[in-house]
Amino acid sequence: MLQKFSAFIFLLIVWFIFAGKITADILIVGSAASLLITFFFSDMLFREVHRKLPWYHYLRKLALLLLFIPVFFYEAITAALKVSKHVFEKNPSFNPGIVKVKTELTDITGLSLLANLITLTPGTLTLDYDRSESAYYIHWIDVETVEEAELKKKIIARFERWVGVIFR
Amino acid sequence: MTIRLIAAYLLMGTGAAFAVVTVLGLLRFPDVYTRMHAAAVVLTMSAVLVTMGTAIYVWDFFLSAKIILIGIFFLFSNPMATHAIARASYKREIALPREYEIDAYSDYLGRDV
Repeated sequence: MLQKFSAFIFLLIVWFIFAGKITADILIVGSAASLLITFFFSDMLFREVHRKLPWYHYLRKLALLLLFIPVFFYEAITAALKVSKHVFEKNPSFNPGIVKVKTELTDITGLSLLANLITLTPGTLTLDYDRSESAYYIHWIDVETVEEAELKKKIIARFERWVGVIFR
Repeated sequence: MTIRLIAAYLLMGTGAAFAVVTVLGLLRFPDVYTRMHAAAVVLTMSAVLVTMGTAIYVWDFFLSAKIILIGIFFLFSNPMATHAIARASYKREIALPREYEIDAYSDYLGRDV
């Protein structure tokens, strides 16, 4: 019930943003459309909560999520600058390789978000996720030896800690 | 010329510069996967910066919210599409890298490189 209600509210807010103004006729058409979508597809948008956690837990998650946004933008912009530096080299030559990185996450939203974050960090690109071994296969732009790869896995572990706390 | 407009122009200019860098990277990098790196990281940031600059430039609640929604969509869809293209081009052997020293994914797929 909470799942359907939150899906309806979310769709209505998006509808109002795209409509551009709040009037009675827009509200009627929007709620009809949102109700229809909620009735059929609400389980795709939000999932049911299985465990009961105390209320301050969700407050902490929200605060961490808001705190994560500037961290994410800082990391993404430094990543873009690092790749831009490679572009202006005289002879762009790398030692690419594909590395297997284990992860501790189990939540589906957290896993897909972490895959996106790995793609946005410098020199890494998620290729696949192995469900049976819970490991990502990551294409690395500049990896020479296995020891160097171990060193660089720490960058991913930092993101994994953020995502693991927010989506648990 | 207020501070708001200067910030908007700064964000849009940075985004446009990143877009130019993306094109240069697509032309200059050696193989498919390294080119995809340029497309994924730099192009996403350029699109997000341009949308943020535009949202500050118009400075109207509903219009800005709409543009920021488009930016968030970019932020999620571009890495996902990149990941899908890279995985497909590896699995279907469209562009197979031959000279990699460390290649754990071919072991996973059961190929011997």
